[in-house]
Amino acid sequence: MNNIQDSTQDDRRAGRLVAAIAVLIMIAAPVMATTAPDFALRSVSGSNHRLSEHRGEVVALLFWASWCGDCRRELERFERLRATYAPAGFAVLAVSLDDEPASAAALAAAAGINYPVLLDSAKKVGRAYQADELPLILLIDRNGVIRARHDALDEREERGLLVQLRDLIDE
Amino acid sequence: MRPWIKAIAIPLATLLVLATARAEEPAPPPTPERSTLDAEVQELRREVVDLNRDLFMLEEDLLFPASTQIAVFVSMDVGTFFDLDSVQIRIDDKEVANYLYTTREREALLRGGVHRIWVGNMKAGEHELVAFFTGKGTHERDYRRGATQTIEKGVGAKYVELRISDRLRKLQPEFVVRVWE
Repeated sequence: MNNIQDSTQDDRRAGRLVAAIAVLIMIAAPVMATTAPDFALRSVSGSNHRLSEHRGEVVALLFWASWCGDCRRELERFERLRATYAPAGFAVLAVSLDDEPASAAALAAAAGINYPVLLDSAKKVGRAYQADELPLILLIDRNGVIRARHDALDEREERGLLVQLRDLIDE
Repeated sequence: MRPWIKAIAIPLATLLVLATARAEEPAPPPTPERSTLDAEVQELRREVVDLNRDLFMLEEDLLFPASTQIAVFVSMDVGTFFDLDSVQIRIDDKEVANYLYTTREREALLRGGVHRIWVGNMKAGEHELVAFFTGKGTHERDYRRGATQTIEKGVGAKYVELRISDRLRKLQPEFVVRVWE
C-alpha cells in the first residue's frame, strides 16, 4: 500500500516538474533566440559581403561544399526561392567550406545560381555557426536573429521551411 | 488520465484560452490616458537609449583606459587609383586586425567616412605599426602595399590614421600613417 502511495507521489512530483519545464520553455523561447554572428567573406566573383549589411532582409544562410551530395539540390532550391521572394526582401548567402575556391566556383556556376557564393576556406564562419554537417540551412529574420536551422530537406520539410520563410517575410 | 499529463495539459489549456480571449478582444478606442501612456513609453524608450549610450562609454573607458588606449582609423580620399579590398594591421609583429571592406563600406569611406578598424591597449614605449593595404590598382591589377610607422606611446590615448589618397603627379595611390595626439 505504501509503495503504491509513494509511486503516485513520485508521479505527481515528476508531473509538476515537467509542467514547470514546459512553462519555462514557453516563456523563455523568444529570449533563447540567438543573434547570428556577423562575418565578412569574399565571394567567388571577388566582391566582399558582410552579413550585417542584410539587416532588414530575411536571409537564408546556406553552408555547403562541392563534395557534399545533397548540397547542389539545396543550392538550386534556394535559387528558385530567391527568384520568387527576393522582391519581398529575401536574400540568400551561400557559404562554401571547400578548401579549393575553384571547386566551389565550378559547382556554383553549374548549378546556375545568382546569389553570392562566399568562400570560407579557413572554416572560421563554419565553426562560428557550428556547421558540423552539410548542408546546413539557417533562416535569419530582419533583426538578424536565427529563427530556424535545417539540414538537407525532404518534401515535407520543404513545406515547413516555406511556411517559416513566409512568416518571416510577413513579420 | 495520468496526473503528470493533467499537470501539463491544464497550464497549456489555460494559456491557450487566455491567448484566444485576448485575440478576440476588440481594439479599445484611443483615450487621453492612452496617449499619456504612449508618451511615457516614448520617454522610457529614450531613457533606455541614453542609458545604453552611457553604458557603452563606460565599457570603453573600463576596457581601454586613456593611459593605455590606442585606436587605429582608416580614411580614404578620392580613390581613383586604388579600390580598397582589405586592411591588415600588425603591431610589434602581431596581427591585431584584418578587415574586409564591402562595396558599401568603400563608398562610405569615399564620402568622407572614417572607420575605426581597431582599438586596444598598449603599454608606454616604442611600438612598430605595420599596415598592409590590399585592393585593385589601375587597370584592375591586384595591388598590395605596406606602410610602417613607429609609435611612441605616452601617458595619454593615441590615435593613428591610415590615410589612402591619390598622388596625381605619379598617378599612384599613396598610403600615409599619421599619428594624432
